[in-house]
Amino acid sequence: MQDWRKNKLVFAIFMAPASFWLILFFTIPLAIVWVYSFGGRGPEGQTLIGFSFDNDRRALEWIHLGIIWKSVVIATITTTACLVLGFPLALAIAFAPPRLKNVLLLLVILPFWTNLLIRTYSWIAVLREKGFLNFGLEWFWNQADLVLTFVGLPDLLGDFQPLRLLYNLPAVVIALIHVHLPFMVLPLYATLEKLDKSYLEASLDLGASQWRTLFSVTVPLAMPGIASGVLLTFILSLGSFLAPDLLGGTEGLMIGNLIAHQFGPSRDWAFGSALSFLIMYTTFAVLWIRSVVAQRSEGGVGI
Amino acid sequence: MRKTLIRPRSRRSLLKGLGVAGVAISILPRRGVAAEEKKLNVYNWDTYIGETTLDTFTEKTGIEVQYDLFANNEELFAKLKAGNPGYDIIVPTDYTLADMISVGMVQPLDHSKIPNLKNIDPDPVFTDPSFNPGLKYGVPYMWGTVGLGYRPSKTGEIDSLAAIFDSDKFSGRIALLDDQRSVLGYALKFLGYSLNSTNPDEITQARDLLIKQKKHIKTLAGDNGQDLLLAGEVDITMEYNGDIVQIQAEDEDIAYVVPKEGGIVWFDNMAIASGAPHPENAHAFINHVYDAEVNAELTNTIQYATPNAAGRALINPDDLNNPAIYPPADVIAKSESFSPLGDGLRLYDEAWTAFKAA
Amino acid sequence: MKAGTLTRGGRAIGVTPRVNLRRRVLPLDYARRRSLQALLVGIFAFLYFPIVALVAFSFNDSKRNVTWQGFTFDYYIKAFNNSSLHEAFINSMIIAGTATLVSTVLGAMLGLGLYRFRFPARGLVDGWISLPIVIPEVCMGVAMLAFFAAVNIPLGLFTITVSHIAFIAPFVAVVIRARMAGFDESLEEASRDLGADQWQTFWNVTFPFMIPGLVAGALLAFTLSLDDFVITFFTSGPGSTTFPIKIYSMVRFSVTPEVNAASTVLIVLTLTLTVIAMIIQGRSGKQMVEK
Repeated sequence: MQDWRKNKLVFAIFMAPASFWLILFFTIPLAIVWVYSFGGRGPEGQTLIGFSFDNDRRALEWIHLGIIWKSVVIATITTTACLVLGFPLALAIAFAPPRLKNVLLLLVILPFWTNLLIRTYSWIAVLREKGFLNFGLEWFWNQADLVLTFVGLPDLLGDFQPLRLLYNLPAVVIALIHVHLPFMVLPLYATLEKLDKSYLEASLDLGASQWRTLFSVTVPLAMPGIASGVLLTFILSLGSFLAPDLLGGTEGLMIGNLIAHQFGPSRDWAFGSALSFLIMYTTFAVLWIRSVVAQRSEGGVGI
Repeated sequence: MRKTLIRPRSRRSLLKGLGVAGVAISILPRRGVAAEEKKLNVYNWDTYIGETTLDTFTEKTGIEVQYDLFANNEELFAKLKAGNPGYDIIVPTDYTLADMISVGMVQPLDHSKIPNLKNIDPDPVFTDPSFNPGLKYGVPYMWGTVGLGYRPSKTGEIDSLAAIFDSDKFSGRIALLDDQRSVLGYALKFLGYSLNSTNPDEITQARDLLIKQKKHIKTLAGDNGQDLLLAGEVDITMEYNGDIVQIQAEDEDIAYVVPKEGGIVWFDNMAIASGAPHPENAHAFINHVYDAEVNAELTNTIQYATPNAAGRALINPDDLNNPAIYPPADVIAKSESFSPLGDGLRLYDEAWTAFKAA
Repeated sequence: MKAGTLTRGGRAIGVTPRVNLRRRVLPLDYARRRSLQALLVGIFAFLYFPIVALVAFSFNDSKRNVTWQGFTFDYYIKAFNNSSLHEAFINSMIIAGTATLVSTVLGAMLGLGLYRFRFPARGLVDGWISLPIVIPEVCMGVAMLAFFAAVNIPLGLFTITVSHIAFIAPFVAVVIRARMAGFDESLEEASRDLGADQWQTFWNVTFPFMIPGLVAGALLAFTLSLDDFVITFFTSGPGSTTFPIKIYSMVRFSVTPEVNAASTVLIVLTLTLTVIAMIIQGRSGKQMVEK
């Protein structure tokens, strides 16, 4: 890492355009909403400007904290599953022969070029009682039943009862994993691709098993990618609202839904902003601390 | 001192905007000083217009229509909240129109420019609604109800809200609309209160009723309650009548009822947004939609109930005789429409969050 | 972009002595290991399961996606003849294309700057640029709407694109930083020692190394922009209906096979454009190498 004073021109070239853009088209708009968060809701749903902490106090009520906690749990499960599935995928892509590499990368991203809403609705078609999954299970069930009848055990299995896979939290988690997998795979791929394979070879040559090599060499070297992927996935799944809405049935209330509700039917932009900022303060604090710590320890990886 | 942020946006002050605005000026529709340009921006719900409505309008007047879509009243309200981005015709539902009138999002109509308004059904429900007295700020577009769609072969005849609010008979076979005012409104109705109650006690009772019944409810359906009913996922669904009418065409075994406790009636209205760039053309468009034949074609396409008496005389008789589209008068008499709740909406918000989080 | 150039950065540099050795060491050829292959098949099955369902229902001869009624192409014909879908598709492509290009460049520079330089309040800046990722989409949408209203910029394609770039660039920056972490800076020093100036060093050493990160970042950017509904909704005006906005309002009444057909067409068209772009870039890449 270089001190910015040593190379002011290059520093400015790198940092200025994006900073300018983010100040003008993000920070200033955000400031407006920040001001909203201290205001209130007019009787017809206007946003009133004022100065009070009522919204923040309301955001910290138990019921809302409970919803936040539930969202954190769901996001944690989603992120863990994405990491477990995404790591081998990214590893395979990064180590694939060059020609195959692009094809695999494209295959990973392709499902995400269909509309998110339609993709979520497709999960309904897959998971519902008369959906594809139950349809497939029923087929296996009937085959098994047939075999059992054949060996002289009729009626052992009974009739197939479709599984209730939809309108509960597992359905939400499945859809969230599906939606957020690329946010894990792409940063992981970008990191693993540059991995110096000689380290892995050395480890294997020295007699370490594949698993040992994976956990003591590959994973530590891939840490920046893991950190980025985990943060992206966690933050994005924390705020999701479409999957809980459509697949969660009466259980599907995450913090994202609550916030969307404030900007929608409640027309309470002030409270919606306060809730949004509550999430942002928390995440921002975590990121900042993390970044400071990382900078102290070595070079710094950032988010 | 609190100050509202809503203000009509003056196009002229554009030039005084920040430097960045300079980039945008070139993509602004240019406004002539004298006659209005031959354009009209309509902001409506999807599949809520006749197949030929826009074409015949352009043929007749030479005005090009830019047709854009929103998905619900809240989107429409939010979109106009910070100032009109350039829409002329908008189609809000009753209570939303009332709020829009209060905050000045819509402009008064000039009835002399809408001669076809003579075709409207003279019933005061249409000509003098409480949310829009004297049709000053809009004219009714279509109307309908929210009720229960069900599968008679599985559930038997249903006529009461007890089927969804006070029974475990259909446990796990019920879908409710994912809309706080409809669900809490019907719970209030079931308890004998008004749809528009702002009495905290009554709303608490409705909330507790819903929480008690939650385990029997399979899901809250946003847009696909009718599909769940058709697919056999649920046997009863709270839905808009038009959605149920659409699936009745595909499945004989589907019925629709407005509950005997009284139902929810809604009216969608055509209005002209404040700051609309083409108010003259907008009046011409409203007049066009109120033409009897145009209205009949529109109504036959979307299969909702039309408030246009002359148009209604020309529509498909099957639709006219379908009680799911035109409910009997005694049902309507017991029903209510949503009215704006003002600060009372907060009570509904909290009850709804408590229900969903329970 | 052909794979050859894609991996060049990582490999071409100082690896030559090891080439023979690497061919011999098969254990690292993860994509060819049976167990991993099985896992990959499983993951891809999971990824494509709903997509197959989606495509299958686009051929359903029924008004809605409920029961299978028979095979038909009708909904494709309907979708092809639906001019508002064309308009929405073109709008989406213009926005996604522009937003990808600009946000990849901005995000890459930002990521590189943050990776390379030590400066005051770096931690703060770090958190700041990640805010667009953290902020709930609907809150950002409202913020953009309020902002454009306050400065009187009319809503339309311009405002949508500008907002997309603002929320996507940080994503790209994150990916680029993950890529750059652990970059061997001695390579740049070597380049400078050999007499290259800063500019040459960047293009010949640093940039090739960044390419896989740029590809990943651009893919992410394109995906995010193409599929965004919430921010797009708040920043769109008359005549700037995008594909997701069209779909959301279509679905309001029912999920019809036409919606599925339109989505299938979108995925096929996007795929075609991407493959063409890759081939073209692959060619020009090769020419560059030959030079």
